[in-house]
Amino acid sequence: MEAFSGALPLSPALVGRLRQECEKVVTSCQEKIQHWKKVESDYEALQERLRTLPNKLSYDIMVPFGPLAFMPGKLVHTNEVTVLLGDNWFSKCSAKQAVELIEHRKKHVRKVLDDLQKVMKNFESRAEFTDLQKMSDAAGDFVDIREEIEDVSIETKGKYRTAHKPHSKPKLSNVFEVDFPANGSDTKSMGHFQSEEELWAHLEELERQEELLGELDRMPNTAETNGEDTSSSEEEKEDKRTDLNGMYRAEDCITQGNFHKEVTNSDLFGGQVNGSTYYHSDDEDDIDVGDNSVPTIFFSHTVEPKRVRINTGKNTTLKFSEKKEEANRKRKNSSGNGHATPELPNIKTPADIYRVFVDVVNGEYVPRKSILKSRSRENSVCSNTSDNSAAEFDDRQGVQRSISCDEATQSDNSESILEEEEEEEEEGQQQLPKKLLPSSGTTEAFSGTVIEKEPLSPSLIPHPVIAHPILPTILERKSEEVLSKASEETPKRISKFKAARMQQPS
Amino acid sequence: MAEQIQKKLQGELEKYQQLQKDLSRAVAARQKLEAQLTENNIVKEELELLDATNTIFKLMGPVLVKQEMEEAKGTVGKRLEYITGEIKRYEQQMQELERRSEQQRETLGRLQQELQRGQGKG
Repeated sequence: MEAFSGALPLSPALVGRLRQECEKVVTSCQEKIQHWKKVESDYEALQERLRTLPNKLSYDIMVPFGPLAFMPGKLVHTNEVTVLLGDNWFSKCSAKQAVELIEHRKKHVRKVLDDLQKVMKNFESRAEFTDLQKMSDAAGDFVDIREEIEDVSIETKGKYRTAHKPHSKPKLSNVFEVDFPANGSDTKSMGHFQSEEELWAHLEELERQEELLGELDRMPNTAETNGEDTSSSEEEKEDKRTDLNGMYRAEDCITQGNFHKEVTNSDLFGGQVNGSTYYHSDDEDDIDVGDNSVPTIFFSHTVEPKRVRINTGKNTTLKFSEKKEEANRKRKNSSGNGHATPELPNIKTPADIYRVFVDVVNGEYVPRKSILKSRSRENSVCSNTSDNSAAEFDDRQGVQRSISCDEATQSDNSESILEEEEEEEEEGQQQLPKKLLPSSGTTEAFSGTVIEKEPLSPSLIPHPVIAHPILPTILERKSEEVLSKASEETPKRISKFKAARMQQPS
Repeated sequence: MAEQIQKKLQGELEKYQQLQKDLSRAVAARQKLEAQLTENNIVKEELELLDATNTIFKLMGPVLVKQEMEEAKGTVGKRLEYITGEIKRYEQQMQELERRSEQQRETLGRLQQELQRGQGKG
């Protein structure tokens, strides 16, 4: 042990002393154990003697006479034994009874021995441990690994879901590649809620990386549709690097059901993706990257809108779909938001999704069920792998969304409107999920119905700020819900209570 | 000034040491009582193992005095209760002593600080 600062609790001197004490205890325990073992063996010998003693009526023995003399004598009454019971109590009993008494005492001795053994073992391990500590301190090889948990309170509704769908590639890359240079700020730092721009930037960065990784492998269908969204969003957010892409990806992810990655991604993204599907962002990213090396997520059930590659900046291109562009433009107009993508709720963990995306039931905000559960599918923004139902949904949703877009001009209003619309949509979608379920069993983990609400949805990815509720897409709606629910996550979010209040007057 | 503090410190220190001695004495007594408790428990159990035909003796000084089984059991039981009561008493005593010694320690600490300050100034 070299010079460690004396202030260290694990200074070598202290550790050495601790170890000494431990060893002392261990040695004392060993001594005691020795002593008690001897006692036990003595008792054994005594029992043996008692068993043989009554064999003869009398024995001829040499009787000790003082310390130095013996004299011949006889040992009589061989069956009568006076036993010391303890505490100056004696009892006369037969040899057999004495044997029983001894047995009883041996039990007691064994108990003591066991206790001592346990204590010894304990202290031995302790001594070892302190030794290890000392070693580690000296060597510095073993480091106390500490990971500061970021502020994100990881809330999960139930257990973390694991991806059902096997992905072609492990999603690890998503997690590791994220070295988010601060697009504006290092949002990537674990779970720091940062400005939306930063989050968007991060997300964008991630997406690019995804593309680079060429992980777009999965569900090409779902990927495409989402990819379109993402591309459009990316396009719009290029500067701002909003999280739309992430959101789309999240949506895609839902279909893919790659929870694991999503979780990691979501962490990486810092909960940027809004919407229930946020945790799927990983998949989305992957999807995007996989196909055509462009972050596009395509839904099998939806008609592939025209995709155009967009250079989103760092060596990545996104597919741009006209639909997405429309949606984006629509949003821009309706929301009056200069940014192509509405602010998304700050989602950093899958749990955030549940916070952000809430179902609007009777004007109240009800936590949304997981998308993997049948009921949640209706609201999911992910594109459904099944072709037919998804398309139907899209149409329906598109109409509804557009309505919501137009109508919602203020956050309050839009929220209420969206809520209503969402309700409608949700109800409508509820039936579809059932139908879609069977068909979507291909590769996605999320086999439920993922209805991609029209291409607008990507652009409508809910943004953390409720102020821009006019999101025609379900995504937006969801984001709004999420926003409304996760009031604590971003200052601009409106708590569900507030939303409810706002909704009431409407 | 510093000398006064030092004298006071000495006095408090002695008191503290006395308290510590008392504490250790109490601890030792309690340990003895614990051993007796275990022993008497064993005696009680072994008495259960015996039957009425066995004669029971009690060693009083150099004499083994015959006792009845029930009498012996009763005596042993009473002794057990007495021992447990004694243990409790000693426990309380120990707690009291600990509390007092803690106070003494604080006082000592304060005095030491004063002494240091005084020495520092002077």
